[in-house]
Amino acid sequence: MDPKLVEVTQLFSRFKAAFARNDFDTCVDLLSQLKVRLTKFPSLPPSFQQTPNAVEELKIARDIYEHAVVLSVKIEDQDAFERDFCQLKPYYMDTCGIIPPSPQEYPILGLNLLRLLVQNRIAEFHTELELLPVTALENPCIKHAVELEQSFMEGAYNRVLSARQAVPHETYVYFMDLLAKTVRDELAGCSEKGYDYMSIAEARQVLMFSSDKELHQYIAEEHPEWEIKDGSVFFQKAKETQPCKEIPSLQVINQTLSYARELERIV
Amino acid sequence: MPEDVEMNDSQPQPAAAPPPAASTLQHLKEIASVIEAGSLTKEVRRISRAVRLTVALRRRLAARDVAAFLAFALPHSSEAFARLSSLLPKEDGSEMDVDSAAPAAQVSIKHGLPEIEIYCYLLVLIFLIDNKKYDEAKACASASITRLKNLNRRTVDVLASRVYTYYSYVHELTSSLAEIRGTLLALHRMATLHRDELGQETLLNLLLRNYLHYNLYDQAEKLRSKAPRFEAHSNQQFCRYLFYLGKIRTIQLEYTDAKESLLQAARKAPTTARGFRVQCNKWAIIVRLLLGEIPERTVFMQKGMKAALAPYFELTNAVRVGDLELFRAVAEKFASTFSADRTRNLIVRLRHNVIRTGLRNISISYSRISLADIAKKLRLDSENPVADAESIVAKAIRDGAIDATIDHANGWMVSKETGDVYSTNEPQIAFNSRIAFCLNMHNEAVKALRFPPNSHKEKESAEKRRERLQQEEELAKHMAEEDDDDF
Repeated sequence: MDPKLVEVTQLFSRFKAAFARNDFDTCVDLLSQLKVRLTKFPSLPPSFQQTPNAVEELKIARDIYEHAVVLSVKIEDQDAFERDFCQLKPYYMDTCGIIPPSPQEYPILGLNLLRLLVQNRIAEFHTELELLPVTALENPCIKHAVELEQSFMEGAYNRVLSARQAVPHETYVYFMDLLAKTVRDELAGCSEKGYDYMSIAEARQVLMFSSDKELHQYIAEEHPEWEIKDGSVFFQKAKETQPCKEIPSLQVINQTLSYARELERIV
Repeated sequence: MPEDVEMNDSQPQPAAAPPPAASTLQHLKEIASVIEAGSLTKEVRRISRAVRLTVALRRRLAARDVAAFLAFALPHSSEAFARLSSLLPKEDGSEMDVDSAAPAAQVSIKHGLPEIEIYCYLLVLIFLIDNKKYDEAKACASASITRLKNLNRRTVDVLASRVYTYYSYVHELTSSLAEIRGTLLALHRMATLHRDELGQETLLNLLLRNYLHYNLYDQAEKLRSKAPRFEAHSNQQFCRYLFYLGKIRTIQLEYTDAKESLLQAARKAPTTARGFRVQCNKWAIIVRLLLGEIPERTVFMQKGMKAALAPYFELTNAVRVGDLELFRAVAEKFASTFSADRTRNLIVRLRHNVIRTGLRNISISYSRISLADIAKKLRLDSENPVADAESIVAKAIRDGAIDATIDHANGWMVSKETGDVYSTNEPQIAFNSRIAFCLNMHNEAVKALRFPPNSHKEKESAEKRRERLQQEEELAKHMAEEDDDDF
């Protein structure tokens, strides 16, 4: 067996031991060492060289990155998640036929979808979704994310929140908690447009705060333009389109002149 | 969707076909002389004409015609001749072409022109694809690409772009598109460096098609946004580009822009490209539905598209009524069609539009309605329909779908009066954009006019010229006077 592979395998088993102990500092440390070691394997993306150890190397590399993704969720680092996922993705997309599909594939893809939803990157969410085969949509992890997106788009926020009880995988809880915050922002945005005013108690209920203090703090931080008086929250509506009283003369003159110029060219 | 690769190029045009008296070989020779003339005078237009003429001949090509033409056009000692001849299926050569001996219009061409060589590659490639000899076609295409990489002549560009198209097409037919992505990217870079705009256009489309074939929307968009843009040279390529652009934008939820691209693609596409137009229309219908518009009935009744668009017609109907149950039934009924069209995920997105339309209908018909009634009318089946309805209504208001306010304390929705749009600047802006469109169209048309170069000058002598100028001057003066009279 290749000595480099042996070394990585040993290091990885130490990583897994630390991971099982929830010793995340050691994990992060070992992971960066592992990643450096992985760069020395020629069979990994993007070069995909056909070496005798290719299958073994690809498998262990995929396993390492899968753990890296889960680790990033546990240490609640979204940027690390994105980086690790990007590195992992080629193993799912381009290694078909070289190594068998991983059992972790759909949970992690679903996790990524959820992350995009939390960060309100809906366009990317759909771009990722298009990459999945039809059969994948039946998978509970993917389905969970897809249904969340639907409820989210519809505005059925209650359904989004109640989905937290039915997470298909323990790692999903972190993102579901983040999603609750996204939902609150959405609700605040909707309320601003949908209501003229609301009593403080109602606002607290709608925005899911447990105390008035939290509500006041939230308004002060996120929506300083809202007004609180007489026990109610008054939303400042965006200026509506006023019927125009003035003719925009300069613009009209410019337009007319340009028509005249063009017509002159034609005649 | 193999139809759209072909588009109109493959449609044999019976009207353009020459009288049957002349043999295919004779035609090929004529085309060769057109190419030669184009090459010598450096007129790209003639070469495009040669390609068009070839397409008209396509149906009638036989192995022996092609073989005889190769023998005629290429020097026998050349590498290209040996390679191309070996790719052609062997037939008994006993029946040597009688027509070639016919003295009627004997054409002879100079050997060794790269245009002719590439044309031979193209001809063999088309022939092999039409005869379903894909492996040979692949070999031929790869050989011609290798040859093309060493050529840098603007007159070859037209032929080269056709070769690229068939190169990609044959790989699509054998579903090995992923393999050629690297080659296409290299070719695109080369075309960019050579300022071969037609080649860039063609290759960009082929690459986009390649990515979209595997649903790689992200890569497609990254390439598209970074590739150099210029005014389109070929209408077909521009149509394709618009279609791919529309698809990418649809996936990325930029519906307004997507609609514009898709409708433009459908309008610009030639009438013979039916398959392509059907595809454009399907996507355009969905995008319009996603935008909350209802496409007119005439869209579905277009000639030759009625059957293909039928599933989308029923879908539109369901969205128009705003009935979730009906929508679900239609989506289920045509699930296989939508999967084949790869529009399934888009249909899933439509669900919330169905709710929106239903909600809009309610908001138009009632000035005040309780949230419980809304939930009932929309058939929201959840454990807490009123709360769901409230947040759905709030979101619809924020997104501008309906104009209303919610009274939380009383639990009802109050619709606002719609304002008079003519009291704003809106009509003025719309009018301006339409005028600008017409003027632009006129300018484009003027630019597109083409005159044969120097045709009117060659014949006139110095004396005649002076005479003509004088006449023109008089005429101008006359007109100026008339103008003065008018005022």
